[in-house]
Amino acid sequence: MKFFEDDSQNLRARLAAVQIIALVLLAVLGGRLYFLQIVRGSYYAERAENQRIRLLPIPAPRGVIMDRYGRVIVDSRPIYNVILSREDVQGKDLSALIEPLSRGLKIDADILRERFEQMRTMPAFESVRIKENATPADIAWVEAHKLEFPELRVEQQPQRQYPPNGLLAHVVGYVGEISPKQLEDPKYKEKGYKPGDIIGQEGVEAIYDEYLRGRDGYRRVVVDSRGHIRAVLEEVPPQPGQDMVLTIDLDLQRKAEEQLAQMPSKRGVIIAMDPNSGEILAMASYPTFDPNLFSQRITTREGRAEYAALLRDPQHPLYNRAIRGRYPPGSTWKIPMAVAGLEQGAITVEHSRLLCGGGIQIGNKFTRCMGNHGTPDLRTAIMKSCDGYFYRLGLKMGIEGIMRMVDEFEINKRTGVDLPHELRSWTPSPEFKARFNPRDPQWKEIDTVYASFGQVYEFVTPLALLRAIAAIGVGGKLYTPHLLKEFKPVREMGPFPARPAKTFDHPEPKIVPIRPEHHKLVVDGMWAVVNDAGTAARIRMAGFDIAGKTGTAQVVSLGKDVGKNKDHSWFVSYAPAYKPEVAVLALIENVGFGASYAAPAVRAVYDVYYEKTRGEPPPQQVALKR
Amino acid sequence: MATIFEKRRLRDFDWFLASLATLIVLFGTWQIYNAQPTANFWQKQLIGLGISLATMFVVAFTDYRKVVQYAPVFYAIGILLLIIVLIPGIGLKINGQRCWIGVPGIGQFQPSEFAKIPTILMLAHYFSKHQRGALRWKEIMVGIAILALPVALILLEPDAGSALTYFPLLAVVLFLSSIRMWLVIAALVLGLASVPTAYTVGVKTGFIKNYQQERIKVILDPESADRRGYGYHTWQSILTVGRGRLFGTLGETEYSQSRLKFLPEPHTDFIFAVTAETTGFVGSMALLIAYALFLSRLFFNARRAPDRAGMLVIAALASGIVFQIFINVGMVLGLLPVIGVPLPLMSAGVSSVLATFMGIGFAISVRMRRFVN
Repeated sequence: MKFFEDDSQNLRARLAAVQIIALVLLAVLGGRLYFLQIVRGSYYAERAENQRIRLLPIPAPRGVIMDRYGRVIVDSRPIYNVILSREDVQGKDLSALIEPLSRGLKIDADILRERFEQMRTMPAFESVRIKENATPADIAWVEAHKLEFPELRVEQQPQRQYPPNGLLAHVVGYVGEISPKQLEDPKYKEKGYKPGDIIGQEGVEAIYDEYLRGRDGYRRVVVDSRGHIRAVLEEVPPQPGQDMVLTIDLDLQRKAEEQLAQMPSKRGVIIAMDPNSGEILAMASYPTFDPNLFSQRITTREGRAEYAALLRDPQHPLYNRAIRGRYPPGSTWKIPMAVAGLEQGAITVEHSRLLCGGGIQIGNKFTRCMGNHGTPDLRTAIMKSCDGYFYRLGLKMGIEGIMRMVDEFEINKRTGVDLPHELRSWTPSPEFKARFNPRDPQWKEIDTVYASFGQVYEFVTPLALLRAIAAIGVGGKLYTPHLLKEFKPVREMGPFPARPAKTFDHPEPKIVPIRPEHHKLVVDGMWAVVNDAGTAARIRMAGFDIAGKTGTAQVVSLGKDVGKNKDHSWFVSYAPAYKPEVAVLALIENVGFGASYAAPAVRAVYDVYYEKTRGEPPPQQVALKR
Repeated sequence: MATIFEKRRLRDFDWFLASLATLIVLFGTWQIYNAQPTANFWQKQLIGLGISLATMFVVAFTDYRKVVQYAPVFYAIGILLLIIVLIPGIGLKINGQRCWIGVPGIGQFQPSEFAKIPTILMLAHYFSKHQRGALRWKEIMVGIAILALPVALILLEPDAGSALTYFPLLAVVLFLSSIRMWLVIAALVLGLASVPTAYTVGVKTGFIKNYQQERIKVILDPESADRRGYGYHTWQSILTVGRGRLFGTLGETEYSQSRLKFLPEPHTDFIFAVTAETTGFVGSMALLIAYALFLSRLFFNARRAPDRAGMLVIAALASGIVFQIFINVGMVLGLLPVIGVPLPLMSAGVSSVLATFMGIGFAISVRMRRFVN
């Protein structure tokens, strides 16, 4: 008898029930499988794809910066960084790494600790730079310790390389990592910068960043769950940035910097410019700094200390004095005054004589001239730099006339040079006095006297002054000073379109109306400063007529002008006098009389220019008078 | 005489069941290879299959009635093994669980897998004596005791997943020994009602740990769960399964979820995800259908068993297997929280395959004696 036949237990039914439950369970699994694979399959496939595919950027090299003759000034060279792959250290105790790494790679333990701390907030597949600019010894050390520290590797990256000794530092500027503040700035945001990007932070590196920077390439890779790269699916090489040709002539630039370095105060500015176009041939500001600090060392402890020291330095080496220094122009102010005096009819070519009188008495105050020049004509007044003459010219023009002159020569505007952070000069006006001297806000006659000799109410940037003087040299064309000669084109590469060549967008020069006879008279005076019995006669170059004007900017009142409070020395010029090719300005801080330092410094620059353009050594050299 | 006897035995041997099981193991070995081609798990699995087939034949040709008769002895041996594994030094601690016994020269084995067979035999031994009418309370209590002993020892390892797979054995044996229907219904209702209650109480009292809560949350809503932490396994498993779509990713297994190490434990607990990824809906459905055929064949044999003990052995075995399939695949498909239970016949692991084939051996032994009274 089969035990199944016992109806009291319903065994058949019960066994069937168990079997049905079993099959139902399997059917549930099948249904779920259908949902995951068929209904939602493509969604999950995409999600799975996203977690395994990564785009790793390949940094593009920046464009090279060259002088006008194609000589390389700034370059990018490949450097090696020691990298710590994070995926290999997950769960590892990082603090145990600090000691051997800081010893083996000679890195400060605090900096390592700081970087490990930063790592916590970064995505897992990104690696951390342990040491930039690894030496061959460092690379060898990493190779030799592969077994001990498999998480270390060496990676190549382009790094900006600036010339030594701070050559042209204020013009080229420097690059640096984009700051958190810049990342917030919509100006940068819309260009799609990301943290860690290296961008131009100063000088032409900053102004022309868009052209200089390349387009980063990338590698599309498959990573596993620990971030290891398992395969490279696609590699798009980067497109390098556009090479930049500056208007700078390195020979003139070197000479200018050398001159400044020789000056007793080692502080000052020399600018050389083509007055016919505004191309800047040299722009030296001293003291200078090493831009490599920002591109290479800023992440190290020493680099940060160096930067802090630069910021604290009372001599402000980071300042480009050519566009950020505001100095009283001293007697150089007399040149635009002379032009405006003639144009406004205060004097005429025939009747240009005015009294010197050894000075002028206004109310109970006597403002003296440095000498007694009788009743000089304009040419003599410029040649001898007669203050008394210009006090009276200023009074004839009135403050309105002086202000009109300032407007004409745009001395109260930025020059528009292609450099960041240019400052505007301060020029005389009743409003300026009210702000400058609130206890005595009323503009008086004596103030007009002061405004006419460049000592009290005007503080001009060297570049704005040179621009005005150069414009007078070429008969009244105010060009925009600039540094960009050309960006070289870059051909199309993969997804990146070709980038066309670019030159400076020359705005039309502003025309300052100067009648030819007025022009001639003022230039005669400036010619006489150097080539006759003038204040800079000692820098005369036979066969190369320099037209110029010395200036001595008082820093403190007379009698106290010694040591570090000595006057600033100016010389502003162009040459040849009647067919200008080049304009040169020098401002030497706190060295005294304009003719003694600034003029010889300018002459040294002309010597180089002469030799280059005339193909022969310059006539008799000038020794610096000490 | 003996040869005729042997011939008849061979003819009655359940070739279908044995072949189906072997095919599933071979299919699983292929998936193990797909998951970890560089490791030697798939070779070990093939060796395990060889040992398992040999063992199955030996068991099949043994008279199961004798074995059931001596079930208490086997049960005692099983319990002994479960005690031995708890002794530090003999039992190997892996991932905080002491559930392996190292055997010098062979490797290691998992007593909780093997103890299932003696437990089934013991239950069959005891409940085969019951012939008519509903179960008495005393009988139910004895059944619970038979189960409680190994379960308690396994919980000491601790291996909750393995312990869980013991419960359906008793449930089915009690059910087929005519436990009263109202008790079954009452147990079901009570069970269903108590799950949410137990969960809330458990969370409030802190009995259910935070990570266990997270594992449950990820089932309910994998999109918003902590996918990098406790939800990681489930989320990655779902992605792996979904990625297979209709036909799978065969031919480009090089960058599969398991090869890129996104999928954890691909050759053991998550072998079904690997199958779903490489062979797609087609392949994984085929596997589920193979399981359905395999289980139906077991129930078919149970129905033809010559006595109650044989029927109980096969039915308990089948329900144990289906329960384990459901727990494992349910976990892989994100229906159930992560519980470490191998997929029968598929997951890498000689212990699990060998124990399953021993069970199949008993099922075949029962079938071969269906006409012998």
